[in-house]
Amino acid sequence: MDIFLQQLANGLTIGSMFALVALGYTMVYGVMKLINFAHGDMVAASAFVGLTIYTQVMGQATSLAAVIAIFLLSALSMAVIGVILERVAYRPLRSAPRLSAVVSALGASLVIQNGIMLIWGPRMRIFPELVPQVYWDLGGVVISLIQVIILVLSLILMLGLYLFVEKTRMGAAVRAASIDQDAARLMGVNVNNIIALIFIIGSSLGAVGGLFIGLYYRGITFNMGWQYGLYAFIAAILGGIGNIPGAMLGGMLLGLFNAFIAGYVSSTWADAFTFILLILILIVRPTGILGERVAEKV
Amino acid sequence: MKFGKIMLALVAIALIAVPAFADTLKVGVQAPITGSYANEGQGIDNGARLLAEQLNAKGGVLGKNIEVITCDDQGTAMASAICAKDLVNKGVKLVVGSYTSTAAEAAQKTYYKAGVLQTSDGTADSLTEKGYWTFLRNSFPNSAEAEFVAKYLVDVKKYKRIVVISDFSTYADGLANAAEAAIKKMGGNVVSRDKIKADSQNFTPVLTNIKSKNPDAIFFAGYYTDGGLLRAQQVALGIKADFYGGDANDNPDFVKLAGSAAEGAFIVNVPEPAALPTPIAKSFIADYQKKYGEMPPSIWGLMNIDGMRAILHAFEQNGNFDTKAAADYLHNMAQPLDGITGPIAFAKDGNRKGGAYVVKRIQKDGSYFNEYVQ
Repeated sequence: MDIFLQQLANGLTIGSMFALVALGYTMVYGVMKLINFAHGDMVAASAFVGLTIYTQVMGQATSLAAVIAIFLLSALSMAVIGVILERVAYRPLRSAPRLSAVVSALGASLVIQNGIMLIWGPRMRIFPELVPQVYWDLGGVVISLIQVIILVLSLILMLGLYLFVEKTRMGAAVRAASIDQDAARLMGVNVNNIIALIFIIGSSLGAVGGLFIGLYYRGITFNMGWQYGLYAFIAAILGGIGNIPGAMLGGMLLGLFNAFIAGYVSSTWADAFTFILLILILIVRPTGILGERVAEKV
Repeated sequence: MKFGKIMLALVAIALIAVPAFADTLKVGVQAPITGSYANEGQGIDNGARLLAEQLNAKGGVLGKNIEVITCDDQGTAMASAICAKDLVNKGVKLVVGSYTSTAAEAAQKTYYKAGVLQTSDGTADSLTEKGYWTFLRNSFPNSAEAEFVAKYLVDVKKYKRIVVISDFSTYADGLANAAEAAIKKMGGNVVSRDKIKADSQNFTPVLTNIKSKNPDAIFFAGYYTDGGLLRAQQVALGIKADFYGGDANDNPDFVKLAGSAAEGAFIVNVPEPAALPTPIAKSFIADYQKKYGEMPPSIWGLMNIDGMRAILHAFEQNGNFDTKAAADYLHNMAQPLDGITGPIAFAKDGNRKGGAYVVKRIQKDGSYFNEYVQ
């Protein structure tokens, strides 16, 4: 039972990181029907930007205020880069065939990944220990402070996003744009602004995810975005791509699935089982767990 | 007609002149310049270039200047095979590297077929089991380290429940298997033998299973990029066992990755560069610091430099650049050559003779304390 609960805690921690990153994929897909392959690399870039802010701007301060400032500044930088990315790589292709935009996304991914390598170098960089290593032993299950922070902060962000999309006027505009851009435009929604907003929110959430990866695992490499991006992408499909609660659910489920497979079967088979799960989902329920079956426009 | 004659003369001059310009001794460096082990790879490249510079200043080897040609193998088998072909085509006589056993192994056959000497710090036993006369190991084989680890854990520390972990690389798996066998042979109890996927960052599922086996010692035979995280996650899960990292964990980044959890972890390795006692080591490291402004990343780069020095020494002793003769010389040295990392001599199978290991405990400030010296 101890082992089960421990794997549960581990799974929820990585699951919430997957979920934060998956939101970026799913929101962009929801509105633009585009898989933003550069998103994973944005997540990696955020960890490096956070590291630089820590060393250069904050003077290596580890106070709570400094940590909050690092999160805010990293999210802000990523939001700016996200908007630039959309403006440069995606907007000119909005009326082009969908494949062109996907290829452009792959190109953007490579540009960002190699940009990280050129700026911060190819070797692994070590993220500072910003959260003190505090642990609680709850009857055999050990929970660390960083795990609690990741879980709680992720849940707050996801709840906030959900309320924003479902309860506000701006959120209604996002939903309208995701159903039909032309109709939304006729209703007076500025679709360009909505898409920029989507990139701001998605990139900021991804930035938080990237900082969590840095804080939790400590070692960050320029090409790690690919790995986390792929997992988050699977999480988004699992939950139903384009569906915001689906991405949260998919991320959590994928984290748990990974932890239990690694714990009870074999850690080396965890990836293989993850992809088998993806194939099964696509066969049995192609729209994902929460995705709705939408009639394809002919 | 006149124009044709001039052209002919020019071609003739070019044909005579080119070999004279190109008359250098080409030394290949095959190392992970990028990728996870870029730090170590650049250390090997820097060291080889420094040695070449020093020897060239003294007139080179047998009157020839050394030209270093570097190829980045990223520590992977695939890039390594490409590097090997490329370096052979460029006409190198010897190759220094690579850092990982996996990359060294992938290149071995190409060098053997071309008669190019290769010296690597790869510690996988399989490297010298193929009977290639071209391969000279400049470190000590895994089996020597495995024997030492087993003896220390079972006889000296008297652990009762030992866990052995590795990744899937040639080096780590070989070392872990050898250690497991040696521990069992000495009557020790291996309660679990686990494998992790290198670079996967999340090792808590494996460690959670290990926790239920109540180990008192963990021996990790993998690389520092995983070792530091493994140690941090071990402490985070409240596993009280003593952590022993194999030689490839001996890197400053291990301590940085493990953070405050690094304190109390043990590393088994040959001594670190700063602790090398010989005058030749002190002067080379001082020159290295002067040129690159930093210490060599680890002793592995220096071992490779020792391998390079041994081969160049053999060329000089023989008075020619015949690689077969140089290999024969190195396999039958009466007197070991003084090296940066201790005396260098090779057994007939290409293994470096001897072995000198220390157990280092990481202290609160991240520095090493030599707990036990063989």
